[in-house]
Amino acid sequence: MTSTAQELHPAPVLEPGRTILELRGLEKRYPGTHALKPVNLAFKSGEIHAIVGENGAGKSTLIKLLTGVMPRTSGEVVWEGQPAALATPHEAMALGINAVHQEVVLCRHLTVAANMFLGEENSRFGILQQRSMVRQAQKIIDDLGFDLPAHVTLGDLTIGQQQLIAAARATVRGTKFLIFDEPTAYLTRKEADQLFTLIRRLKGEGVTIIYISHRMEEVFELADRVSVLRDGMLVGTRNIAETNDAELVKMMINRSIEQVYHKEHFTPGAAIIEARNLSGKGFENVSMTVRAGEIVGLYGLIGAGRSEFVTTLYGRHRKSAGQILWAGKEVQVKSEHDAIKLGMALAPESRRDQGLCLNLPVGLNLNLPIYKRISNNLLISSAQEKTQADRQIADLRIKTPTRGALASSLSGGNQQKIVIGKWLAHGAKLFIFDEPTVGVDVGTKAEIYRLFGALLSKGAGIILISSYLPEVYELADTLHVFRRGKLVATHGFRGASHEDILTQALAEKQEKQGGQI
Amino acid sequence: MSTEAIAVEKPKRNYNVLFGLTLLALLVLLWIVLSVATPSFASSNNIANLLRQGSMIAIMAVGQTFVIITGGIDLSVGAVVGFATVVAAMMINAGFPIWLAILVTLLVGVAIGMFHGFGIVKMGLPPFIITLATLTSLRGIGLLMTNGNSININSDTFTAFSRSSFIGIPNLFWMVILVGIPAYIFLHHSRWGRYLFSVGSNAEASRLSGVNVQRTIYMAYTLSGLCAAFVGVLLAARIGIGNPTQAEGWELQAIASSVIGGTSLFGAVGSVHGPLLGAFILATINNGANLLNVNSFWQRIITGALIIIIVYFDGLRRRGK
Repeated sequence: MTSTAQELHPAPVLEPGRTILELRGLEKRYPGTHALKPVNLAFKSGEIHAIVGENGAGKSTLIKLLTGVMPRTSGEVVWEGQPAALATPHEAMALGINAVHQEVVLCRHLTVAANMFLGEENSRFGILQQRSMVRQAQKIIDDLGFDLPAHVTLGDLTIGQQQLIAAARATVRGTKFLIFDEPTAYLTRKEADQLFTLIRRLKGEGVTIIYISHRMEEVFELADRVSVLRDGMLVGTRNIAETNDAELVKMMINRSIEQVYHKEHFTPGAAIIEARNLSGKGFENVSMTVRAGEIVGLYGLIGAGRSEFVTTLYGRHRKSAGQILWAGKEVQVKSEHDAIKLGMALAPESRRDQGLCLNLPVGLNLNLPIYKRISNNLLISSAQEKTQADRQIADLRIKTPTRGALASSLSGGNQQKIVIGKWLAHGAKLFIFDEPTVGVDVGTKAEIYRLFGALLSKGAGIILISSYLPEVYELADTLHVFRRGKLVATHGFRGASHEDILTQALAEKQEKQGGQI
Repeated sequence: MSTEAIAVEKPKRNYNVLFGLTLLALLVLLWIVLSVATPSFASSNNIANLLRQGSMIAIMAVGQTFVIITGGIDLSVGAVVGFATVVAAMMINAGFPIWLAILVTLLVGVAIGMFHGFGIVKMGLPPFIITLATLTSLRGIGLLMTNGNSININSDTFTAFSRSSFIGIPNLFWMVILVGIPAYIFLHHSRWGRYLFSVGSNAEASRLSGVNVQRTIYMAYTLSGLCAAFVGVLLAARIGIGNPTQAEGWELQAIASSVIGGTSLFGAVGSVHGPLLGAFILATINNGANLLNVNSFWQRIITGALIIIIVYFDGLRRRGK
């Protein structure tokens, strides 16, 4: 088991530790696409190796090949000195290769403990040893420092907490090689910290970690080395100490970082919507105004009441007190339908669950809010249906073969463009974006931000909810900080430091986040 | 989730057309084979009979398809047909004008569909449960109303309709066209049709996009109830009696026709021409098997096998193999 990484891969290699997994000319072709061009790369035991790249750069393909989900087209994978076929997920797991996916793939209706032991239940004479499993699961969770109960139903936890459980699950099965695919996409800062502690611990135990993320600061916080993929090609591998944000972004997209957060300032116009002492489920006494031409950012932890506040504005939940004023006049928003009629548009947080009809064509998804307008009382104008859809696809640069392709066949970033894009033709005045760039690569992010500018220039107002501070920080004209259902602070554009805003969002250090939401 | 390659998929419309043509070819093939195999098949009498047999299931299948596209199911349609024959028979025998009897029967179907919508939207019952409940209770209500007897309809004008033809084609088949064309326009060229698909694909996303999801669900079940009641009127005219136990198991034939016609039970996939062709394929198989003296038990087995084969190949095609 001698390392041949030096010969194959001349990139600087400083970490001690032997090579556990080596890719030699690993390649994947789909009909018509060269998803992964031959990659040579060696992973060492006990290293945290970040992989970055835009959507479509080949990261997912690489993961699928390593976890045995798909067969490779050519090349070799060497595991601990022996060639490995990696033909099935089972084989990968038997070797000790596991993955934690961005979207939790566990059984929501089973308990945390049942999920931890899924597939390897303890049983005696065929009878499940439920209590002992709960005890063991609880011990694992406690050991990892997660403050979560093992006996509750998984679905009762927040997405972030479920993600932690998924990570914990992956650590208990003799894992030697663990892949994290965008694990923090839905995590709060505190949950992310817990996850990082877990990852560092695994590293200490000699586990190799592959960490895939769009968030640069996480890569720099965690990783020892970082590899950049672009267009299915390995552009390069760097030691983390010898590189920086700017270099990595440049390698990923051939574009500088300033161009990502492209902020246009407009003079705010008249108030579009105003909340006066609004209270409802999950938040109380919130007042704020959104004017034409401005972005109002809402920052806070998941569960701090931001999403509840906007869904109440949008008519999903009833307000319990206070007023909503639209263009200066008090309105009652009793349903989403009312909200849309007034001129609001909501791009929800989870595009798969709330944003898209995945098994329907792109064109239908884009036109869904405007069918009323492009049809007379009886019939849809099919000419208009086509031109509207094609225009959106062109304007938003959605990468799709035709408007008839199914939404599910598009990449995450392009799906997100549909979720946002369908409101453009609708001509709304107020746009609410709930975590619009989760799981979206830098290039698409930049496009989405530019879209914000285009909306503002047309006199619209934007409410931007994000758990990613740099995003709201760099884009919001007014930034409201939420904590435990209350609006605790308000700042102007870059009006406070990152540290101050974080402190306001977190308040007391020991704040315990409500488990069930 | 980054999908590496944008899979190049053919536009859906083309696929639908292709699948429809495949079904049509299958139907024509069946007819050719049967004409050769048995001389009595191609007789005008038998063809007319076959069209009558298939027409009623076809109309039910169209309504059923609307429901299945929203991701639901309507198990009650067979019972609605039986119940509708009772309503129509009782009203005609009580001396009401035929047009009024038909109108009231159709309204009863609408009311049953509305009730299903109410149960699903307001009471939060699964479609399977609420329609299963009406399936059994409607038969019961019908039996109570008739004391378990059949009612002979004493109007010849009413019953003559189903036996006569217009330009050589049975009136019952004209009824398929009467239902099919508006249904096609509704499903593929009106926004309500689009909403059926979008609700079946993702109700939450549809609601956030301003689609009135509740109204869409009401509409689907109401149309299914209406189609079933209409078939009830046709059946009463055809056999000349009102009997609540009629049309036993027709709901399964309607669902089978719909599925053979390419409708996905997971919702958001379906058409109007598919279920119509599916219904006539089933009717042809039954008719042909009768003529060939195939044991009627075998007919059921053949139907089952056909469902598996067609849906399996359709699934393969959809997954792009």
